Amino acid sequence: MNFEVDYLALAPELVVVGTILLVLALDLVLPRPRKYWTATVAVAGTALALLPLAAMAIEGTTRSMFDGSFVVDQFALVLKGLFLIAGYVVFLMSHHYIESDRYYQGEYYLLLLASILGSLVMSSARDLIVLFVGIELTTGPLYMLAGWRKGDVKSNEASMKYFILGVLSTAILLYGMSLLFGLTGEVTFAGIAEATAGRAGEPLLTMAVLFMIVGFGFKVSAVPFHFWAPDTYEGAPTPVTAYLSVNSKAAGFVAMLLVLYLAVPDLSQVWAPALWVLAALSMTLGNLSAIRQNNIVRLLAYSSIAQAGFMMVPFAAAAVAGADLEEAFSATVIYMVIYAVMNLGAFAAVIAGARTTQSGEIPAWAGLGRADPRIGVLVLIFFFSLAGIPPLAGWFAKFVMFRSVIIAGGTATVVLAIIAALNAVVSYYYYARVVKTVWMDPATTDLQVQEPAGSLRLALGVAVVLTVLIGLYPAATTFVTEASKVLATGG
Amino acid sequence: MLTPVTLADYLPIAVMLVLAAGFVAVTLVASRLVRPDNPTPEKLAPYESGILPEHEPSQRFPVKFYLVAMLFVIFDVEIIFYFAYAVIWTDLGWYGVAAMLLFTFFVAETLAYVWKRGALDWNVHQRRRYIDREAA
Repeated sequence: MNFEVDYLALAPELVVVGTILLVLALDLVLPRPRKYWTATVAVAGTALALLPLAAMAIEGTTRSMFDGSFVVDQFALVLKGLFLIAGYVVFLMSHHYIESDRYYQGEYYLLLLASILGSLVMSSARDLIVLFVGIELTTGPLYMLAGWRKGDVKSNEASMKYFILGVLSTAILLYGMSLLFGLTGEVTFAGIAEATAGRAGEPLLTMAVLFMIVGFGFKVSAVPFHFWAPDTYEGAPTPVTAYLSVNSKAAGFVAMLLVLYLAVPDLSQVWAPALWVLAALSMTLGNLSAIRQNNIVRLLAYSSIAQAGFMMVPFAAAAVAGADLEEAFSATVIYMVIYAVMNLGAFAAVIAGARTTQSGEIPAWAGLGRADPRIGVLVLIFFFSLAGIPPLAGWFAKFVMFRSVIIAGGTATVVLAIIAALNAVVSYYYYARVVKTVWMDPATTDLQVQEPAGSLRLALGVAVVLTVLIGLYPAATTFVTEASKVLATGG
Repeated sequence: MLTPVTLADYLPIAVMLVLAAGFVAVTLVASRLVRPDNPTPEKLAPYESGILPEHEPSQRFPVKFYLVAMLFVIFDVEIIFYFAYAVIWTDLGWYGVAAMLLFTFFVAETLAYVWKRGALDWNVHQRRRYIDREAA
């Protein structure tokens, strides 16, 4: 056993732990009017944690610890960067939203930081135990955050549904993991991959893999495991919803792909068709349900279910066709990064817009474009980007997805590509409908324009710059594509 | 490089699904044939743990035990780490001492938090006053 600790490799996590302790301590000593310092410290801590990441990215070596259970490679660095930056933007979005809440400001930031810490650990996990602890630390605090508005029945419902289905999915996931451990006697991905090589077709192994896919399916709210998502997204405070739809979804995705790709690559016979079905169902049902939604957050909830389907397409297609998974992996990661940017932007625009319209119902947003053109333009940019209209970032995500499918080839793959293409067309309708309401419908009430808070403006600025930049100059994301191919098994 | 998919592995799963569905169908049909049919409104009502209360309790009662029990479990688990340390403390040396001091600090900070938030006050009315003061 090797217990050498590489402190630089652990530095991002250590910084976040330190920030958590500091936020907790500050929350205890600060008087009520000064509690906003907890937010400042949380934001500074997430930014500070990016420094060791940058240092390791420049250095470019792969670091492995604890017998290969914890690996920091280029892939992990990209994901940690994504989780930290997305968390940073969510903090900016939360600032004024939470300050209007009466108590427990410090706890809000503490719980979000704990969730970020979980996703950081999870990105480096190369064994089942570390992965499980990481993903539970990611979702655990969110059960409480979803129910943050204690007096609101919808928020209670959000928390309750998320908790019960979250715990159920954890149980199923854990059952699959325990079967896998029982059959192989290994917990590290490298060990499991070795032990399962050439054992495709054993019924119990098939069950183990399917159970794990079902567990992860709940976490990423893939159809048919998506029932909790719309209610939870609607009831939770909007910044928490943004976090749920970006960080927590990405974390579930990464965990699923890590396990399938690194631990059980030889069982692709089992998981490839399952992923294919999940991808096809998520895209179709997500998009068709989104058409009928009148609440803008529910619309974004179904849109995020559909986007999760798109994210699964490259990986499912490549695995079904038996093609090279490396290309598919980087296509999924690039889709995830772009989705994170534009979806955070869309939620920030919704928070800003809802302050003026005083409503989450789409018809009430009529005339917003004329009343407050800046928010109107931002809604247009983010929703068109989600639809995949060039020259905004979303088109490149879709382009990479379709390209990887074409590279894979094969009948089942082409069918999936056709389903994806049809769904992309369907999604134009409901994204464009929001933009149409905002810009073309006459205002039903006299809208009082509310200035967005400074931190929210910063969040919107970060998201809009990235969305336009990636759309106009996709080569800016090359480092993500390259880095996500450096995926070390540890071992 | 992976092999293309054939779906052969899904045969056992399909068999399981058919068996599970068949078991449910057979049970439902068999019990319908065998059992006497005598529905009453009480029987048809959805079961919700226990009997419906006749009237609301006259006063609200606090559930302090739940909070204390939860805190006890959390701290109990944390303290278990000390036992592990006590067994091998000579091998770990000063590194172990530093690590345990850090760990103790974490526990202490959590305790301070719980204390300040009023979770240890047995008298709930006092705690409410604290929160109101905090919010004012």
